[in-house]
Amino acid sequence: MTKLKTNNVSKGNMARYIGIAAIVAILLSLPAWGGKYAVMMVMLMGIYIALGQMWNLLAGYSGLISLGQQMYIGVGAFTVAVTSNYLGLPLPLGLVCGGLVSMAIAIGLSYLLLRMKGMYFAIATWMFAEAMVLVFVSIQFLGKGQGLFITAARKLQAADVYYYSIAILIISTVVVVVLLRSKIGLGLFAIRDNDTAAETSGVPQFRSKLYCMMVSSFITGVIGGVYYMSQVWIQPYAAFSISWTVAAVFIVVIGGIGTITGPIIGGVIYVFLSQYLSTLSQIGSLSQVILGVIAVAVILLAPKGIVGTVQNRFGFEIISVRRWMGKYTDRLPEPTEA
Amino acid sequence: MDGMIQAIIQGLLLGGLYAAVGLGMSMIFGIVKITNLAHGDFLVLACYISLLFMGVFHSSPLTTLIVVVPIMFFIGFGVQRTMLNKVIGRGDEPPLLITFGISIIIQNLLLYFFTANAQKLASPLLLKSFSAGTVSIPVLYLISCIIGVAIILALGVFMKGTYLGKAIRATSDDTEAATLMGVNIKSTFGVAMGISMVTAGVAGVLIGSLFNFYPSSGSTYLIVAFAVVVIGGIGSIYGTLWAGIIFGLAQVVGGFVFGAAFQQLVGYAVLLIMLIVRPQGLFSK
Repeated sequence: MTKLKTNNVSKGNMARYIGIAAIVAILLSLPAWGGKYAVMMVMLMGIYIALGQMWNLLAGYSGLISLGQQMYIGVGAFTVAVTSNYLGLPLPLGLVCGGLVSMAIAIGLSYLLLRMKGMYFAIATWMFAEAMVLVFVSIQFLGKGQGLFITAARKLQAADVYYYSIAILIISTVVVVVLLRSKIGLGLFAIRDNDTAAETSGVPQFRSKLYCMMVSSFITGVIGGVYYMSQVWIQPYAAFSISWTVAAVFIVVIGGIGTITGPIIGGVIYVFLSQYLSTLSQIGSLSQVILGVIAVAVILLAPKGIVGTVQNRFGFEIISVRRWMGKYTDRLPEPTEA
Repeated sequence: MDGMIQAIIQGLLLGGLYAAVGLGMSMIFGIVKITNLAHGDFLVLACYISLLFMGVFHSSPLTTLIVVVPIMFFIGFGVQRTMLNKVIGRGDEPPLLITFGISIIIQNLLLYFFTANAQKLASPLLLKSFSAGTVSIPVLYLISCIIGVAIILALGVFMKGTYLGKAIRATSDDTEAATLMGVNIKSTFGVAMGISMVTAGVAGVLIGSLFNFYPSSGSTYLIVAFAVVVIGGIGSIYGTLWAGIIFGLAQVVGGFVFGAAFQQLVGYAVLLIMLIVRPQGLFSK
C-alpha cells in the first residue's frame, strides 16, 4: 500500500517538472515570437506575481501582515536611479544595490517590527512607509517630489525588461519554495500554528521571521527597480503608493493565501483585470474599488482563495512546500476517518 | 516665548480632538478585538457626508451632525453585521484584510465622486479667536476640544451606567458568559461598531472644519488613531484622552520647533519611541 502511494507521487512529480519546464521554456522564448502586447502583459505578470510571492511569504507563512511593501518598491527604484545616474553603475548592479538597501532597511526595522504582532505590525509597517515618502520627497538629489529619471533605462528594449521580470518571477518563486522546504520553513509552519509551542520546542522565532523579512525586502526592492526601469521615470508618490500593497493583497487573497500557486494565479488575474479596467473610459479610481470589493468578497465567501478551494476539493497541489513524507510513511500514524 | 505658549495651548486643544479620533478604534480593539484599518477613512467619509449636507441645508458643519451621526451609526452597524461578524473567530488576518479592503473602497469611491481636490468644511467660526493675555485662543480649536472631551466622558458614562454599555463590557470580558446571560453578541458588536463610527463621525466633522481634507487623508488619521491607542493602552477610555493630548502636544510643539513640514514626522517619531519603550501603553493596567 505504502509503496503504491510513493510511486504515484513520483510519477506525479515527473509530469509536474515537465510541465514547469515547458512553461519556463515558453516564457523565455516569448519575445522571439510573441507580439509587443503579449510581452508587456507577461512582463507585468512577472512583476506582480513576484510582488505577491513576497507578500505571501510574510503574510501567508510567517503571520506578518505587511502594509508597507511600497517602501521597498520605492527604495529599490530610487537606488537604481541613484546608482546609475550619479555613480554610473550598470543597471543589473543597481538592481542588486536596490535589493541590498531595502534589505538593510528591513533589518534595521526588524528589531522593532518583529516584537509586534497582528495590527501593531500591520500599522507600523504602513507608518514607516508613509514616513519614508515624507523623507524621500524632501531630499534634493532625489528630485524633491518631482522624482527622478533612470537615464540609462531609456536605452533598454522591451525585451530586456521582460527578461529581468521573468528572472525575478522565477527567482522569487524558487526562493520561496526552497526557503519553506528548509528547516526554517518547517519552523515557520510551527510558529504559524502555535508560536508558544514552537518556541518551547526550540524554533528560533525571531531569526526565522527575520530571514523572511530579509528575503521579502530584498526581492521587493529588486521588483521596484525592474518596474521603474520599464517606466524610466520614478514618481515618488506613485512608487511609495499604498496601491502596491493593495495589489499584493488582492493577488494573494484571490489566488490563495499560504500557497505557492496562489500568487501565480492571482497575479495573472490581477494583470488581466487591471489592464481590462484601464481600457474602460470614465472609470478612473473605480477600478481600485472593484479590486477591493472582489478581495473582500473572496475573504468572506472563499477565504482560501482559488487555489486553496481547489486544493480542498480535489486534494492536490501543483507546487507543494510540504516535506515529502514518502520515505517516512511507515512511521506515520494510521490516518483516521474524520 | 509667546509662540511657544501659543503652540502648547494649540497642542493641548488639538489633543482633545485627537483623543476623539482614536476613541472609536481603541474601543473596537478592546471590545470586538479587531483592528479597524478603515477607521481613518470612515472619519474622512464623515467629512464628505457633512460637506454634502452643508450644501443641501446651507448650514454650518456642526449642524450637519444631526444627520452625520445617525448615518455613521448605521454604516458602522451594517459593516459589522454584514461583514466583520462573519470572520470573527477566524484569527487576526481576515478582519484586518477586510477592513483594509473597506479602506481602499471608501478612499477610491470618494476619489471618484469628489476628485482629489482639497476640501474644507467652511465654518463661520474658523477665523474667530479670543485673546487671553498675550496668546490668542482660536474658538474652533476650543470647541473641538470641548466636544472631543465631552464624547469621551459621555462614552464613559454610557459604558458604566446603561444596560447596553454593561452588555458591551460583559461581552468584551467574557463572550461565552455574556451569551449565557442572554446578551445577543452579534448585535452587541454591531452597536459597538456603530458607536465607534459615531465618535469617528463627530471627530471627522471637527477635523474637516479645522483642516483641509482629501480622499486620501484616511491614512493620516488612522495613524493618529493608532498612536492614541498605543499611547493610551488598549480599551482604556480615559487613557485615550491623555494619549490624545500627548500626541497633539508632540505634533504641534514639534512642528513649532522644527518647522511645519516636520509636524507629521515628529508625530511618527513619538509613536515610534512609544512602541520601543512601552508598547503596552502608558495607561494600561
